[in-house]
Amino acid sequence: MSKKVTVYTTNTCAYCVMVKKYLTSKGQTYEEVNLDEKPELRQEIISLSGQMTVPVTVVTDSDHEEKQPEVTVGWNPGKLAAAIAS
Amino acid sequence: MEKHDIVIVGAGPSALAAAVYTTREDMDTVLFDKGVIGGLAAVTDWVDNYPGFSKGISGLDLAGELQAQAERFGADIRFGEVTGIDDAGDHRIVRTTEGDIQAKAVLIATGSDYKKIGVPGEKEFYGRGVHYCATCDGAFYRDKNLVVVGGGNSAVQEGLFLTRFTKHIDLLVRSTVKASEVLQHDLEKAVQEGKITVHLETVTEEIVGEDGKVTKVIASQKGEKKEFKTDGVFVFVGLLPNTGFLEGTGVELDEFGFVKSDEGLMTSVNGVFVSGDVRSGATMQIASAVGEGATAALKMREFVEGRVATYAG
Repeated sequence: MSKKVTVYTTNTCAYCVMVKKYLTSKGQTYEEVNLDEKPELRQEIISLSGQMTVPVTVVTDSDHEEKQPEVTVGWNPGKLAAAIAS
Repeated sequence: MEKHDIVIVGAGPSALAAAVYTTREDMDTVLFDKGVIGGLAAVTDWVDNYPGFSKGISGLDLAGELQAQAERFGADIRFGEVTGIDDAGDHRIVRTTEGDIQAKAVLIATGSDYKKIGVPGEKEFYGRGVHYCATCDGAFYRDKNLVVVGGGNSAVQEGLFLTRFTKHIDLLVRSTVKASEVLQHDLEKAVQEGKITVHLETVTEEIVGEDGKVTKVIASQKGEKKEFKTDGVFVFVGLLPNTGFLEGTGVELDEFGFVKSDEGLMTSVNGVFVSGDVRSGATMQIASAVGEGATAALKMREFVEGRVATYAG
């Protein structure tokens, strides 16, 4: 079961660095969406996460895209581990 | 059970500095942190008073350099939470969410975390209009109005950082601004440019919202009620030591919850040391935290080599 992971970040966010390092350490590829470069996506993040903060990590099951994505707000290695587990 | 020479609880500047020293002495060192590597320094926008960086450095970059240096000499930094420490005589047992670990010596360098104001609305709107990290969440307030609560270095520094996004900031200061002269000078410039308005003797009393969004802050100024319309609130009202996990360990805390130590940075538990912001008497500066981390490392080496007795506090 492969996972598609998107991490929403900003340039100055230290917790975003933690999430990216964690995913890399687990061999999980991800797409980074930087809200400083794409400020028009801020509202999308708020709708997705219910909060005005980054990092927001969205994990989708590539084989079952109809399933609700797993959304992790902030630096939460326990939740991320569960989300990317096969 | 895993065995290591040194276990360090925390991975902020003090912890990482200690790890540089212990690993260079060939002491097998593991660090545990449940938060961000680099601690509060990592989430600070800019650091101008850490020696060695003549033009200043971003907190994120400083944290990255400290981490890289510690790891270069073999420090093993792990994500996880320490839940307790026991003195087992000739070694210590560190209990973590990832399992128990045996260590010859332990360093508590858990730093501190942001204090809450403790007013209605603060908890309810956390992450949805109430924030404690400007570098994390400031970008959501482009062209908006903000209230920043606090009057110390953090409030002024992070408030100035936020002006790169905001239309206007109201700075609510309980008494007077107590930030450093340099920061007060920069604040005055922002005030003159109309970016910030400073409200002295203004006590925040409630954060109010509608439809899930913060809309205003209610405060009192010299007994008079005041309302500040706002799109969000950033809180910088001080720090609390991260010592909750030490309950029941025998590590003595002072009346404010900071860890007591003797002159050799040993706590009341044999073989358990402390450094940085979490230590009673700490000056809450990155430079001093790093210095203490190095000192603690040298003291731990003496202890492991049998050259230091017990707590002399």
